[in-house]
Amino acid sequence: MMKNKKYGEYGGQYVAESLMNTLKELEKAYREAIADPKFIEEYHYYLKEYVGRETPLYYAANLSRKYGTKIYLKREDLNHTGAHKINNVIGQILLAKRMGKTKVIAETGAGQHGVATATGAALFGMECTVYMGEEDMARQALNVFRMEMLGTEVKCVKTGSRTLKDATNEAIRTWAKTAEDTFYIIGSAVGPHPYPEMVKEFQRVISVETKKQIMEKEGRLPDCVIACVGGGSNSIGMFAEFIDEKDVELIGVEAAGCGIETGKHASAFSVGQAGVLHGMRSYLLQDDDGNVQIAHSISAGLDYPGVGPEHAYLHDTGRAQYVSVTDDEAMEALLELCKEEGIIPAIESAHAYAYAIKKAKTMTPDQIMVISLSGRGDKDVNTIADYFKDRGYK
Amino acid sequence: MNRIEERMKQLQDRNEKAFITYMTAGLPDMERTKDLIRAQAEAGIDVIELGVPFSDPTADGPVIQDASYRSIMNGTNLKKIFTAVEEVRQDCQVPMLFMMYFNTILHYGVKAFVERCAAVGIDGLIVPDLPKEEQDELTEVLERVENAPILIQLVAPVSADRIPMILEGARGFVYCVSAMGVTGQAANFHRNVRSYLESVKAVSKIPVMMGFGIRTADDVAQLKDTLDGCIVGSYFIQLMEECGYDLEVAKDYIRTFKAGLAEE
Repeated sequence: MMKNKKYGEYGGQYVAESLMNTLKELEKAYREAIADPKFIEEYHYYLKEYVGRETPLYYAANLSRKYGTKIYLKREDLNHTGAHKINNVIGQILLAKRMGKTKVIAETGAGQHGVATATGAALFGMECTVYMGEEDMARQALNVFRMEMLGTEVKCVKTGSRTLKDATNEAIRTWAKTAEDTFYIIGSAVGPHPYPEMVKEFQRVISVETKKQIMEKEGRLPDCVIACVGGGSNSIGMFAEFIDEKDVELIGVEAAGCGIETGKHASAFSVGQAGVLHGMRSYLLQDDDGNVQIAHSISAGLDYPGVGPEHAYLHDTGRAQYVSVTDDEAMEALLELCKEEGIIPAIESAHAYAYAIKKAKTMTPDQIMVISLSGRGDKDVNTIADYFKDRGYK
Repeated sequence: MNRIEERMKQLQDRNEKAFITYMTAGLPDMERTKDLIRAQAEAGIDVIELGVPFSDPTADGPVIQDASYRSIMNGTNLKKIFTAVEEVRQDCQVPMLFMMYFNTILHYGVKAFVERCAAVGIDGLIVPDLPKEEQDELTEVLERVENAPILIQLVAPVSADRIPMILEGARGFVYCVSAMGVTGQAANFHRNVRSYLESVKAVSKIPVMMGFGIRTADDVAQLKDTLDGCIVGSYFIQLMEECGYDLEVAKDYIRTFKAGLAEE
């Protein structure tokens, strides 16, 4: 499917000349690593012993009863550090070590990738700097404390929208300066080639396990899998093993923020315009002058104006379907998951669940859906409390 | 003949080094941008890089990031810049190029963009996020349109084995980035800057310019024998901001820099 480092017309390497040899070295090291059984063995060792995989594929009996279809939750929220982000960090940091790098940098939105990177850096004795937008630092203060506790320096980014987009800009600038000894750990399925592919490979474990588990439990593949999409690391990991299984419907859920019609949203697919940002070509929210538009979502992890290039390709070819849910729908769904199943999901994951409810209403009792519960909601407690302060928890 | 190539040839004939400045279009406003272009031409600038501001300038340091942001807030966009260039061209033939990010071109439409550049008299393009491997889409159009601008190639201290590939078919001049990273890191050149410049010079059929982190002619005094000229961006913007865009200050700076480059 990939040709010239692109998925159809998407992806590529839109970076400064000073990074081209760095990307070439990275790609070579990455290809060698994933072909090396020792590397794969080490990666799976840490996933099992340190991250706590495999994560359960939990049959949500209460929800299944309520909506009249079989609903399974892939519990990525039970990973060490509280989200799927650690899967990819373990992979990339082992690669960094293998390449002889001593420092790692990362960008973070919700802070989950930052915490995962800080964790990996502590584990493997690497110096770590995480770039985070000023606004996100306020929204996700708990994760800032966690990173600092883990010995990471959190650099506050005060440019542009002061969120994930700008944190990524700053990480790219730093990387261009320091690539000789520094490895840039990108957390989402974005960035210049080979990052989107690499992130997918290191998140693939989500769907590898899901496939095996659903076969054990149901003896067949699910009818649909649903995951949230910001840059799209969780969803590409959940889709990976099902892309070639044409009977499995793939659904990505973007953040519609205050509503697509208000312009205050983070749904790159809703506008349908391609552009170039962060080294890749993909769908991108832009204003009339071609400047990148500020995204909005109550969820810091989905607050990104672009989307991973493979998602753009899956969208155009019709293999996956992309929908969106608003802040309000996501928050209502979040509360429902708390009350029905005793699970507090991350606001990101609540987006996937919010759409799953709509989808479930169209499904029959013997059909199966899998929802990727990408992370837990501990980090969002302040945001959730603020949101429900005047509304009440019903 | 293309104005940049013509100027490069004149300089070569006169055995003179080139001096190029970068200015963000739309600062402090579009009227004074035009005045500053004319003033620089009068002072003998060889090429002007006109920065088209973009929301996410990942190849730029704090000074140009801030300048881009302020210019966008002023309402600057590509259409207005085209109009300004068109007006300046009525009476000023200084070689001018755009420094811009690829998304701005894509958004405008590659073909429409190139045609408009040709029509208003933009002579060259520097697109820092469009490495050689991604250029086909743009060069195909540049080759088809009459009087289209030329695409300036950038090389970096770590380009090494990529240099001959990058320079194949390159026109105008080659832009050597002096340091790793972004624009505006004061005279902090890469530790191997001399051997790097020599390696570019050895294979380049066109003039070799150095940019990133240069403030005065003194900064490059030791490297002059390996260079055909240099480019000042962030420092020039700072200078203009500090003096409130005083055109005399700009002219003095350019004349002093040119004289410094000419010293043996």
